[in-house]
Amino acid sequence: MSDAENTPSDVNEVDIDAVYKESAIQDVLDRLDAELVGLVPVKTRIREIAALLLVDKLRRQLDLTAGNPSMHMSFTGNPGTGKTTVAMRMADILHRLGYVRQGHLVAVTRDDLVGQYIGHTAPKTREVLKKAMGGVLFIDEAYYLYKPENERDYGAESIEILLQVMENQRDDLVVILAGYKDRMDKFFESNPGMSSRIAHHIDFPNYNPDELVQIAKLMLAESNYRMSAEAEEVFSEYVKKRMEMPNFANARSIRNALDRARLRQANRLFNSRGRMLTKVDLMTIEAEDLLKSRIFAQGTDESTQDDDE
Amino acid sequence: MNSNGSGQITDAAERYKSGVIPYKKMGYWDADYQPKETDIIALFRLTPQPGVDPDEAAAAVAGESSTATWTVVWTDRLTAAELYRAKAYRVDLVPNTGPGTNNEAQYFAYIAYDLDLFEEGSIANLTASIIGNVFGFKAVKALRLEDMRIPVAYLKTFQGPATGIIVERERLDKFGRPILGATVKPKLGLSGRNYGRVVYEALKGGLDFTKDDENINSQPFMHWRDRYLYSMEAVNRASATTGEVKGHYLNVTAGTMEAMYERAEFAKSLGSVIVMIDLVIGYTAIQSMAKWARDNSMILHLHRAGHGTYTRQKNHGINFRVISKWMRMAGVDHIHAGTVVGKLEGDPNMVQGFYDILREPYNAMNLERGIFFDQPWASLKKVMPVASGGIHAGQMHQLLHYLGEDVVLQFGGGTIGHPMGVQAGATANRVALEAMIMARNEGRDFLSEGPKILDEAAKTCSPLRAALDTWKDITFNYASTDTPDFVPTTTGSI
Amino acid sequence: MITNPTGRLTQGQFSFLPDLTDEQISAQIKWALAHDWAVSIEYTDDPHPRNTYWEMFGLPMFDLKDPAAILMEVNEARKTFPNHYIRVMAFNSTRGVESPAMSFIVNRPANEPGFGLVRAEGPGREIRYSFHSYATDKPESERY
Repeated sequence: MSDAENTPSDVNEVDIDAVYKESAIQDVLDRLDAELVGLVPVKTRIREIAALLLVDKLRRQLDLTAGNPSMHMSFTGNPGTGKTTVAMRMADILHRLGYVRQGHLVAVTRDDLVGQYIGHTAPKTREVLKKAMGGVLFIDEAYYLYKPENERDYGAESIEILLQVMENQRDDLVVILAGYKDRMDKFFESNPGMSSRIAHHIDFPNYNPDELVQIAKLMLAESNYRMSAEAEEVFSEYVKKRMEMPNFANARSIRNALDRARLRQANRLFNSRGRMLTKVDLMTIEAEDLLKSRIFAQGTDESTQDDDE
Repeated sequence: MNSNGSGQITDAAERYKSGVIPYKKMGYWDADYQPKETDIIALFRLTPQPGVDPDEAAAAVAGESSTATWTVVWTDRLTAAELYRAKAYRVDLVPNTGPGTNNEAQYFAYIAYDLDLFEEGSIANLTASIIGNVFGFKAVKALRLEDMRIPVAYLKTFQGPATGIIVERERLDKFGRPILGATVKPKLGLSGRNYGRVVYEALKGGLDFTKDDENINSQPFMHWRDRYLYSMEAVNRASATTGEVKGHYLNVTAGTMEAMYERAEFAKSLGSVIVMIDLVIGYTAIQSMAKWARDNSMILHLHRAGHGTYTRQKNHGINFRVISKWMRMAGVDHIHAGTVVGKLEGDPNMVQGFYDILREPYNAMNLERGIFFDQPWASLKKVMPVASGGIHAGQMHQLLHYLGEDVVLQFGGGTIGHPMGVQAGATANRVALEAMIMARNEGRDFLSEGPKILDEAAKTCSPLRAALDTWKDITFNYASTDTPDFVPTTTGSI
Repeated sequence: MITNPTGRLTQGQFSFLPDLTDEQISAQIKWALAHDWAVSIEYTDDPHPRNTYWEMFGLPMFDLKDPAAILMEVNEARKTFPNHYIRVMAFNSTRGVESPAMSFIVNRPANEPGFGLVRAEGPGREIRYSFHSYATDKPESERY
């Protein structure tokens, strides 16, 4: 330890590869690549943040002091674009690079933070903050915390406590606010205090049809299903139609569509009793399992229902 | 002659013919016997007389500690004799003894006793059988009771510790650290008034307990009532000036049960939280006092006075781990169980074995620590072991390492012999203890960093500095006599 | 003033050491969390040796991961009750223990008045003792 702590130490070389290897963040980045289709801009930002933290760590080794960079983030994008998944990986990266001590993720919404009566909100918010200490607090649809139409809404109290902790206890937790882009923008406009404490704004783009088909294939493979070649063609038709409908929720809608396809596949197999089924039969989603979807039956304009077709 | 595989005579007429036959043939040896869950098992270390077969010696011990006498009796046939006969079922040569070594052959003999051989809730009855007659028996040259497996069914007939570690801590409001104590010295000769001074200074200085010595009862220089009155004045003054619960073990040992009850009642009426007895009062008196202590919300401290006469020698007597088991059953709350590092006998492994027996809800077999049987404790409360004799503040890291948190550390000389006085001695011990606990909880390697941790703490505590300087070279480095049989090299005292 | 060698109330695990810093408190809490003990904060204006039940500053905290969460409450308690005694306790729920495992003071009043010893003399020189908290001479809200 040098006598004067502010003087850069005599050692003036650090091994970036060694620190990189030791942190094993490549594993996390690889996993992110494997798990999430597309999202190139998001992945790039994550890489940048990882690089920042890594260099910061190296600088600290050479006693080049600088305040801990702020790491609070906002993730904006439509539902099903991978915000929660990325938040989980982010927590992991922050932990591996020593930015947070425990690396767990606590995901909440307004109901977990805001109470029903006077004196209820502060303890609730603090309870959540305490659970998240040492890790990442992920607040989904954060704009619901702020209800300008109701003067006496307790959400403001929760925001105030959050702000305090985000400012004073940066070393203890990272907050990620998430939600639709336009609503988040409005939220930040009316809450400049919150806006100024967010260091990283990451926008999650919608998936394009090819990416969605790829996601579907990944999801099916995870649960030991596959689509026949014919079914795959039908599915990419399906995706295009579904995207034009209301309440489209990217990967989430894909998962729901696949769940229903599995249901129809099971029915089809059940009705074909009297013959032996092969392993392939049990694994394969056929075109007819998809074609029975109401999207094909009724056309897009009539279906204004939500995802539950 | 008809006999089974173990050599027992199976033909009844043959078996009960008047005369003398070997114990083995009488049925006290059964190599195939599978002990029942409700059996009491005793493990003896036996040294047979020259020429006596170890199986026969084991059978003899089994016989003499259960139904047999030296000759055949026909009255056996009026009983379910087969059940009542203890069965020696296993004999192992003790490692490092016998042919090829410099030591006379010794054997571990396992003997099982049926539950019906014993009266419920009576240590006196249990011991009258197991150690009643056999230790003077001619067929064995030496005999030591090494361990016992007490079945849950039998344990449940005992009260167990009157208070137990957990409730004691709640009553004292002291958590997460060893309790500190000291024995008032000199042992003999102080008047009641002078005696109370030592109590007051030590408790005010930071100890939790002070203690009468084992032979302080009611002698000409200080009658018991005086000691009690002055000691309780000191205890209460110390409590008022620290805000802590304090206590003094008032020794109620006396010549009769009536006198002991009288003293205990008086201690209670003065607001004492604890009374003390000596092991020499006997098992029944101990159980009576344990019942009294439970009935009166008092902690019961036991000084193991006299145990060294039969626990110390390795080839003859009773291992202290057996005494520990009996005392947990009998119901004491504190028992002196060794220090590892102090002036009295105690190999580290053996002492840790005693502590396990006193404090754990379940003992798994652990030969290195001398625990020969799995022993569930059937929720009998835990006994607080007391480490006393030649220990001082400079050993705090070793004491915490070997003995853990649930222990009373008694620094008699280490408090009263402090160059700056009794109060300073007490403070030194308390500061050393708190610093060591803090370091342990911070995750530091307190055993190897111990001296450094103490030096750091001494910077803000001159009494600790003085204690460390005074006793820095004091160790009691003698080889233990009671050492484990199952470690590659026997360990000496540290 | 209390007159023992520390000049203050000596309850708890670390009363003979200098006041704990926030880092030291965090290290102790970390020990508790590592053992899966619930941690609670309690405060009182009457530290009588038999006053078992100090007021709870919120319920004991379960399932927390990081000491910072509890330190935040400690500081909140200090802010609310700067002149009270505040202690941190840890509770072990293991069978056969089910009792506090730690207890240490993290805040004290600037001036600790201590206790008086009240003696009631009886026959045969027997004396009944009781302690009197000087702090309790004043009404509850004005003690420190």
